Amino acid sequence: MARVRNWQLGRDMEYPYEAERPKRQFTMIMDTNKCIACQSCTIACKSTWTWGKGQEFMLWNNIETKPFGFYPTGWDVNILAKLGEQSWDGDTYTGQTIFEAAPEGERVLGWTAAEEDWSHPNIGEDEPTGNAIETTYVPDRPHSLMWMYYLQRICNHCTYPACVAACPREAIYKRPEDGIVLVDQTRCRGYQECLTACPYKKTMFNLETRVSEKCIGCYPKIEQGLQTQCTTACIGRLRLTNFLSPPEEADPRKPADFLVHIRKIALPLYPQLGLEPNVYYIPPTHVPTDFLTQMFGPGVEEAVKMYENAKDDPELLGLLMLFGATERIFETWDVSGGVARAYDEQGEEIVAVPLREPTFVRPFEFATEVAGEPVTGYRHNT
Amino acid sequence: MSASKVTRQDALLYGGAAVGGLVVGGAAVVGIAAAVENRKGAETAEGEPIVARYHDGELPAEDPGSGTWSKATRVRVPIAAQRIVQPYLEREGVTELGVRALASATEVALLLDWEDDAIDDLDGIRRYHDAVAVQLPTRAGAPPPPLTMGAPGNPVHILQWRATWQRDIDSGGKTGVDQIYPEVVHDVMPDDVLPPEAAQLYWVGREAGNPLSKIDRSTPVEEVAAEGFGTVTHLPNQLARGRGVHEDGRWKVVIALPSARAGVGEALAPGTSWPIAFAVWLGSDENRGGRKHISTWQTLALEERPA
Ligand code: SF4
Ligand code: SF4
Repeated sequence: MARVRNWQLGRDMEYPYEAERPKRQFTMIMDTNKCIACQSCTIACKSTWTWGKGQEFMLWNNIETKPFGFYPTGWDVNILAKLGEQSWDGDTYTGQTIFEAAPEGERVLGWTAAEEDWSHPNIGEDEPTGNAIETTYVPDRPHSLMWMYYLQRICNHCTYPACVAACPREAIYKRPEDGIVLVDQTRCRGYQECLTACPYKKTMFNLETRVSEKCIGCYPKIEQGLQTQCTTACIGRLRLTNFLSPPEEADPRKPADFLVHIRKIALPLYPQLGLEPNVYYIPPTHVPTDFLTQMFGPGVEEAVKMYENAKDDPELLGLLMLFGATERIFETWDVSGGVARAYDEQGEEIVAVPLREPTFVRPFEFATEVAGEPVTGYRHNT
Repeated sequence: MSASKVTRQDALLYGGAAVGGLVVGGAAVVGIAAAVENRKGAETAEGEPIVARYHDGELPAEDPGSGTWSKATRVRVPIAAQRIVQPYLEREGVTELGVRALASATEVALLLDWEDDAIDDLDGIRRYHDAVAVQLPTRAGAPPPPLTMGAPGNPVHILQWRATWQRDIDSGGKTGVDQIYPEVVHDVMPDDVLPPEAAQLYWVGREAGNPLSKIDRSTPVEEVAAEGFGTVTHLPNQLARGRGVHEDGRWKVVIALPSARAGVGEALAPGTSWPIAFAVWLGSDENRGGRKHISTWQTLALEERPA
C-alpha cells in the first residue's frame, strides 16, 4: 500500500499504487437542480456506445431518483452500510475509506450487486420521501419535508480508482493524458473483480464478449476537443465536460477549477469512499442538509447558498449559462455587457450567450386567420 | 531425492519446494516403471506421484469415458482455498481432485475429476464458470517456480479447461445472451442490420482480438504462460486438446498437450518427472481468477517407453 494525497478527504490515505496524476484530468460538472430525468443523456450514450448484443444491462450513463432510485439497486446504501460510520472533522475525513477498510485477502472493501440488481434501471423513479400529511409536495424553502431529486451518474474517472486497485490483471488503466479510466479489452479475463470493487458500480460485464466494459469518457470526442455525448444531448443544459487541476494548481480562469476549487459550488459524490471521484455536483437546493452531506461531503450548505445567489453573481451565472451552449470544450470564459462568452485555448470566442434571454409578451387575444377567414386567436402557455 | 525410487516423501517435498524446500528436477528418474508396476489400475493415497502410463497409440484426449483410462492409477490430490495472493478464496467448496495420467510418444493426457453438483457453463453478471487447470514448469531442473503461477524470469506453463468453452464447442457457440436468458426479447441489434464487419465493432473484446471473447473455438483448453499472478499470457500456438463431461455430480475433464511443448518449454520426455500443480474453480461458489482451489506441487512421473 502506498500513501497518497486525497484532497477531497483533507488527508493522505492508503492506496495499492503510487499516486500518478494525469497531465490533465477529465471532469464533468452536473447541476442537479436542472435535471428533469428525461434520460436523453442515457439514450445518447446507449445509442453511441452500448447498443450491441451483450450490452443490454449497460448504462454507462444513468439518471436515478434519490433517495429511492439506484442502478444497480442499492449500490450506494449497500457499500455505505458495509463501510460503517463515516465521520468528518471539519473538512477532514476521519472515517475509513474502502481501501483502508479492505478485509484480509482483499484490496478493496467491495459489494457485489446481484444479477437481479441490474434489472431495474429506473427503480424508484420520481418517488419522493417524507410525510405528505405534514407538508406539501411542492418544495417549500428552506426544506420541504417531502423531497426527491435526480442524480446524474457516469463513471467518475477517479483519481484513485477502485476498479484499477482490484483488477488482478492490471487490465484497467488511467490515461496519463486526460485521466480517463479504461478497461483494456485485450487484457481483461472477465473476473469481474472491478464489478465488486467499484463502489459506484460503473464497470459492467459484456455477456457476449465475457469481459468488462465501462464509460470511456467519450475519449474519441475529448481527443477532438469536444464535450461528451451525454453533455451535448442534455436538454437541461446542466452538464459541463472540462478538465480539473489539483487544488494547489487551481486556475480561476478555468471553468472546472473555478466551480470546484475557487467557488466550491460543485462537490464530489461520496468522497468518503476515498476514490477522489472526478464528477462534481452542484447539490439540489431543496434537500435536507444531512442527506446532502452524507452524499457530497462537507460544504453543501455553502454550495447551496452560493447557487441561490447566482442571479446576483454574473461571473458564476455566466459560466452556468454556458453549460450546454457549445459542443466544444472551452478553456476560459468571461462576462461583459450581460453576455457570457466562452473561449478556446487560443483565446478565440466559441460561443456567446446572454445572461438573460429577452422576454416577449404576446397579448392574450389577437386577431388571426383560419382558411382565409378572420378569427380571434388566444395565447397558450407553451 | 533418491535416484532409484520415487517416494511419497519426495512427492510431498515438491509441495514443500514452494516454500523454499527441496531441489526437484525434470531429470530422468530411474526406476519409475518399477515403482509403479504393482499399483497398476489401483487408487493411490494422496501424495503419491502421478504416473503417466505409456500408451502406444492415440490417447483418449477427448474422451473422459474411454476404457484406456483404466490403465492409469488415480491419484487423489488435496486442494484448498487459495489464500496466498489477493484476492483470496474465502470458502472452500471441494477438497480433492482425482488425477490420472497417460503418455504416448507425442502427447501427455490427464484425466481430472472432482465433485461439483452444479454445472456452471455460462458467463454472465455474477455468474462464473467451473474450470480446472494444470500448471507445469517450462524448464526442467530445480527448484520448481513459485507455486503462485511462477515469478518473473521463472515462468510456468498453464493449461486451463473451462466449462463455458466446452459449451461453446458442444453448442456451436450458443452461449450468449439468448442462452443466459432464454426468454430474452431483443430490439434490433447491430448484427441484425449491419454487415458482419461493422457489427463486429460492437463486440469490442472480440474485435480487439481478446481470446477470451471468442466463442468459435476448436478446443476447450487454453494454453498460457505466466510469471506470477495476474500475468497470464495466451500462447500463440494453442495445441492443447481436451473435453469435459459432467456425470453423477462430478466433472470429468481431460486435458492433453503435445509432449514436445514447442515454443513453450522443454519436452515432457518419457522417463522424466516434473512438478505439477492443479487449480479448481466452482462457478456457483463465485470462484474466478485467483479465487480458486489450489494444490501444492505434486510429481508427474512419465513412464519410460517400453523397449
Ligand atoms: S467510478 Fe468506478 S469504474 Fe469509474 S474510475 Fe471510479 S472506480 Fe473505476
Ligand atoms: S439529458 Fe440532462 S436533463 Fe435529461 S436526464 Fe440527462 S442530465 Fe437530466
